[in-house]
Amino acid sequence: MYRSQKLAIKYMVAAISLFGVMTLAGLLSAYYYINPDFLFGILHFNIAKILHIDTLVIWLLMGFMGAIYWFLPDELGREPIGIWLAEILFYVFCAAVVVVAVVFVVVQYGGSDQAGLWLVNQGRKYVEAPRWAASGVVVVMVVFAFNVIATAISTRRATGIIAVLMIDLIPLVVLYLDAFPAITNMSHDLFWWWWLVHLWVEATWEVLIGCIMAFTLMQVLGTSRRIVETWLYIEVALVLGTGILGLGHHYFWIGTPDYWLGIGGFFSALEPLPLLGMIIHAIYDAGTHHMKTTNRPALYWMMAEAFGNFLGGGVWGFMITLPQINMYAHGTQWTVSHGHFAFWGAYGCGVIAVAYLMVQKARALPQVDGQLWKWSFAGLNLGLVAMVGALLVAGITQSMIERATGGSTLQAYIAGQESPWFSEAMILRFVFGLVFSAGYALLVYDLARLGRRRTVAQQTALAT
Amino acid sequence: MRFDEPAFWRAGAISTIFVMLCVLVMLTVDSLSAIATGGSHVPPYTVVNKHIDYVYDAARGIDVPVIGAAQPLFGHMLDDRTAAAMMDKGKLVIQSRACLDCHTIYGNGAYYGPDLTKAWLDPSWEAWQSITGTSTREDAMVKFLMDPVQYRTWTRTMPNLNLSEEEARAVVAYLKWTAAVDTNGFPANFGHVHTDQ
Amino acid sequence: MTSIHLLETALLLGVYVLLAGLYGLSYGIDRFRHRRWTQFAARAFYALHCAAAVSAIVWTPLYPGWKLLLVASSAAIFFIPRLTWRFLERTHTGEVHS
Repeated sequence: MYRSQKLAIKYMVAAISLFGVMTLAGLLSAYYYINPDFLFGILHFNIAKILHIDTLVIWLLMGFMGAIYWFLPDELGREPIGIWLAEILFYVFCAAVVVVAVVFVVVQYGGSDQAGLWLVNQGRKYVEAPRWAASGVVVVMVVFAFNVIATAISTRRATGIIAVLMIDLIPLVVLYLDAFPAITNMSHDLFWWWWLVHLWVEATWEVLIGCIMAFTLMQVLGTSRRIVETWLYIEVALVLGTGILGLGHHYFWIGTPDYWLGIGGFFSALEPLPLLGMIIHAIYDAGTHHMKTTNRPALYWMMAEAFGNFLGGGVWGFMITLPQINMYAHGTQWTVSHGHFAFWGAYGCGVIAVAYLMVQKARALPQVDGQLWKWSFAGLNLGLVAMVGALLVAGITQSMIERATGGSTLQAYIAGQESPWFSEAMILRFVFGLVFSAGYALLVYDLARLGRRRTVAQQTALAT
Repeated sequence: MRFDEPAFWRAGAISTIFVMLCVLVMLTVDSLSAIATGGSHVPPYTVVNKHIDYVYDAARGIDVPVIGAAQPLFGHMLDDRTAAAMMDKGKLVIQSRACLDCHTIYGNGAYYGPDLTKAWLDPSWEAWQSITGTSTREDAMVKFLMDPVQYRTWTRTMPNLNLSEEEARAVVAYLKWTAAVDTNGFPANFGHVHTDQ
Repeated sequence: MTSIHLLETALLLGVYVLLAGLYGLSYGIDRFRHRRWTQFAARAFYALHCAAAVSAIVWTPLYPGWKLLLVASSAAIFFIPRLTWRFLERTHTGEVHS
């Protein structure tokens, strides 16, 4: 096994572990809605939420990095250049994540000065980590990009997938530089912040997961390189063709000119169309291969990716993207419903698929199947869909009562939050969060024990 | 180049991205001037010296901020430098206490607490003046921010984030300024109950 | 927009896209199974999708530009599964499947 692939396994273990932290923090955040006095004066909602959304970003990023470090040496036929540095930085990255999390929980807030931003909490959503840690993330990502780009250049065999990946890594790193500024003018701050957040999760990350799924398809279904490359270029064209100006759907209400209502609404309304194509492609692959593969969980999680992306991003997104609706739905639990579904469908399912693939290859398993992955698959997906459904009810209630009827004042906000539709939906959300958590526990157990318990005959067969 | 060849779609991807990026850059340049303080949508920080309202504009079909007569904040008219310094401080407070991990401004943030875009204009502050024993809206807001547990609004209590008086005043000034930004009508019908009849 | 219009419009838009997805799903299944019910399902879902579009145009307070976009999107949606499938078959010619 290449050193890069051993590093990949470490990244994937870290990613799946952080997935657990994210889930716990999510349960805690959800519980505050049911019992607002829980841990009052000790740990508040905003800290739990920071842990939840920041581990979301980091676990997915680590999952992507793990996937790329896994596929890269086979793709380029050699150990990536500078892998020794990446190996060291992995431990530095993990240590930094732990330190940042501990500081969030124990210290929580710094002073309203530069020292607070550098050492404790920057307070900007998804990128709350203090600047010292953000600097570390930049270093890790620059080295990661170097590992990919330098190796591809040195071998002079940048395949189509590698070329797309190389080009994608540059904006991926550059956009993260918006994790640093503290611009006073909120409109200005949010304008650039959305370049980071949207052009990560609705542009560069889409390309990144597209590259990863291309590698995965070649291994799980034996699809030819020519086909996956063709479809990767089509996906990049369609997703970025709609997503770059779809950035405008975040510019409706932040003080920007009103032409963004038309531009952002139009391009984001087009975003479901490529996702429909992705569904067709998934059905074609499923049908031509009769769902036969040596790694059933990986294939099923890839199918979940296609359908989850369409439902979470396409259907749920389209409900709230047109400005006339968004005026009322913006900044409510409706957004939360869409966000959970879209992140899960677009990225969560894909990283889990790769995790199963890596387990198969690392443990030389001729076949990956069983009962346990099915229970995990059911628990995670049903739990997630039910959570999303509960949040949809809460979000619609909030939009109707607080925004459309109540006039968005404090009293209107309270009226929405205290509606039985809202409060009961939040209880259901928590309950299904527990179902999701059970699915996660089964996932961890399955990944950990797959192939570990072999019969004597199997061990003998492997040895010969 | 045939359309079933990868090279065709590679060219398509490159040209599509190039065109979209060019448009994005052009719109960004235009938007940045509109959202600069003093631009078409974002008033200068010294707007906190004025009365701010939020009124329906029939021509645009949305609510828009209306800047009125002089209304000193905390009893003083602020010059450009003082107003800017207060805003810098206010934004740093909002970041350091992670306010937007409970609240939203312009709908961006978290949803555990109310949206603060027009918090300056919220009708509840009238009642909070008598509850906090203050005579102005801004003083009531400062008192609340410095001890939200004592002056709790409802069952979901805002925690005490140990704001100094200087920090609380800076946040209030910041919220008065955000209330004056033209957000294309968000939030709609602020302060007005709108039934379906 | 009243709260009821908000609810109706948003749900209609979600159903509009969902039905497009169901049309695509059943179209794909029909291409493999070639059964009467799969063909019927594909047509029925597309018809329902068009009904959702018409409902949005007639009964919602969306501005005319957005209604026009819905019409154009429905036209595109009709062709997307077909064109995608044809392109998939063309690009997969010569692939050996397990």
